[in-house]
Amino acid sequence: METIHLKKHIEPDLTFTQWFKNVYGAVKTTAIGMGITFKYVWGRDVVTIEYPEVREELPSNSRSRLFNDAENCISCLQCAVACPVDCIYIAAVKRATDAPKIKTKDGTPIRLDLKQYTIDTALCCYCGLCTTVCPTECLTHTTDYEFASYTLAAMKYDYLAPEIRAWRTRIVKA
Amino acid sequence: MHNLIADYLNKVVSGCSAKVNEVSIGDKSITIDSSFVLEVCRALKTSSEFEFNVLQVITGTDYPDRIEISYILASFTKNLELILKANLPRGDKSNLPKINSVVSVWSAANFQERETYDMIGVDFLGHPDLRRILCPYDWDGHPLRRDYVVQEKYLDMVVNPPEKNNTDDQLFGKRLKEQLGDPKKVSASWKDSSASEESEAKDGE
Amino acid sequence: MSSHTNTNENKIILGDQEVLKSDLLTLNMGPQHPATHGVLRVEIKTDSEIVVDAIPHLGYLHRCFEKHAENVDYRGVIPFVDRMDYLAAMSMEWGYALAVEKMLGTEVPKRAEYIRILVAELQRIASHLVFFGTYGIDLGAFTVFLYCFEDREEILRLFEELSGARMLYNYIWIGGVWNDITDDQLARVAKFVDRFEGELHKYNNLVGENKIFIGRTANVGIITREQALDYGATGPVLRGSGVKNDLRKDRTYGMYDKFEFDIPVGSGEKGTTGDCWDRYNVRIREMFESVKIIRQVLAGIEEGPVMGKVPKIIKVPAGEIYMRTECPRGELGYHLISDGGKTPYRLKVKSSCFTHVSLLPAIAPGQMVADLVASIGSIDIVLGEVDR
Repeated sequence: METIHLKKHIEPDLTFTQWFKNVYGAVKTTAIGMGITFKYVWGRDVVTIEYPEVREELPSNSRSRLFNDAENCISCLQCAVACPVDCIYIAAVKRATDAPKIKTKDGTPIRLDLKQYTIDTALCCYCGLCTTVCPTECLTHTTDYEFASYTLAAMKYDYLAPEIRAWRTRIVKA
Repeated sequence: MHNLIADYLNKVVSGCSAKVNEVSIGDKSITIDSSFVLEVCRALKTSSEFEFNVLQVITGTDYPDRIEISYILASFTKNLELILKANLPRGDKSNLPKINSVVSVWSAANFQERETYDMIGVDFLGHPDLRRILCPYDWDGHPLRRDYVVQEKYLDMVVNPPEKNNTDDQLFGKRLKEQLGDPKKVSASWKDSSASEESEAKDGE
Repeated sequence: MSSHTNTNENKIILGDQEVLKSDLLTLNMGPQHPATHGVLRVEIKTDSEIVVDAIPHLGYLHRCFEKHAENVDYRGVIPFVDRMDYLAAMSMEWGYALAVEKMLGTEVPKRAEYIRILVAELQRIASHLVFFGTYGIDLGAFTVFLYCFEDREEILRLFEELSGARMLYNYIWIGGVWNDITDDQLARVAKFVDRFEGELHKYNNLVGENKIFIGRTANVGIITREQALDYGATGPVLRGSGVKNDLRKDRTYGMYDKFEFDIPVGSGEKGTTGDCWDRYNVRIREMFESVKIIRQVLAGIEEGPVMGKVPKIIKVPAGEIYMRTECPRGELGYHLISDGGKTPYRLKVKSSCFTHVSLLPAIAPGQMVADLVASIGSIDIVLGEVDR
């Protein structure tokens, strides 16, 4: 047989006046609270939005869906190195010396041909470290936030595929 | 301040061989003999001069030759902070390194020692309830050891199943190299264990 | 597991009376339970309504942060740090950035220091508002939850404009902050702070002074001063127990030494020192103090760069450091050990919530089950930080 001792806070015995004070306090403080809530009935603007009908515009530096403009990418691998979860896969091949010289939008010469640029956004943690190191600013976070999909495979974005390149006109702001 | 504490410890607990680790950057610490931990902690708590009344954290670090247990103590009355260290042999799975528990000094040590046992694999002698705390109770191995290998199967579930590993994407660059027959022409982001790719990743930085 | 397994043989004495003996019932509260604020499982043994024993089981949200940190570079740790206490990500980042900056010897520009204090205090308000709202829900007051989230939304919207994310900011970087704050945003903060102070008085009248709320929280879940120190409690839990301890004053970091503010301490106004109401009250008064600090930041902020000089590849010199900062939920400590490489050799996090969970077995016995809910709510744990 074992005895378990439990501590308990012992309230002092209630006097008659104390009982009335308690009742008064309960009624008074509840009335104050009800008064505060009652003020919210009128004269308040609606703070929520009806989502699918009304869509919120995110701030311009919002970190949502990633987009890589593959034409401006110089395959420097800096984004892949900076990525803390290693979800960026890049492979590039050196351009032949006699191939026509191409440049990015800001004038950096492209010396490598991009063969693979895949980001597994199911792994991505949207930290933004890859976009800050990008020297040509081709990898950007866009403000596009509705991209739920049914399969994990659909979360893998191959930015060299034509259908994903086609997003450019839709989600990249000037 | 650290020298004063070390002198005090050497005086009160004979044989604890308290030694101050002088550093140029970061925090100083005091190393003691691991078999005197309980006595040293009690002496630090009861001393009127330092009054280390709070145990902040107990943590272990796995070095190639030893396991270092750090007790980080604080005194809220004297506004002091101290890192106390004890070195243990690394031991192995069947023979975990042992050290005395300090739960009798600070109750805070209870969860902290359980976590250190779970993560580093140190047996705290005299702990009232030494179970794993963050890993499942039937987990195998101690994850924060440097030589830890993840178990392949846990309760009939495959740990890290290959279909979730994006192996195709990771090996794309390697296959491209094999295809072209000239590894110098290809640069790929995925770091393989082979040395050549390691150097390329450095170029990328 | 516990010593009281032989249930039928026990005799239970509550206070000074023996309670009607019945079989002990083992009950799992959690991992999916609305009152545990995440995935905490508390195995409670009850004799009718009275809790005899409570054993917390952790680890349902364990994401191996410390192991990850050994494998990513110093900048890459910050996104992981965010995910520990997702309700106060700014404060988490600041502690880590301070630890690395101290080791590197980096000078942080003045403006960045001001912005850091501004966002950390706003974050403290946002985090305490979540506590306030969810604590109301725990005790059956739903209205205040909606009011709190409306105000929190304004803070989150500002953070979203600053950093680009709503909760996991990655905003405080080693050496400074990511983006500069515009005058327009500062004006918005000033406007918010003015409005918020009045609103907070209103909320406190609605909940904190309410007789029913006091009845649910006063004299419940008492953590004595000795217990709090013995278990290593920090932050509002320690201050609620009557210990005046705040790292912003005691071991000042950033520029907190230049700011005027008080440290609220629980005094047992409505019951006993260290009860749930004291902890609640300390948090409410802390929000007023944060408002004070924010006003001083707005008055004193200077022009200038927001990023200090940091090498492109951060290599911290070999050594170790233990950096403590005052987060909304208590002290956060980073024990960083470096071997001179590109990644930390070991990064141990001292999480305040973890130590606060260890208080549960000490305060739970003798309470009603409903009071246990009030106790868990009042120590305000975030399971992301408990399990890391």
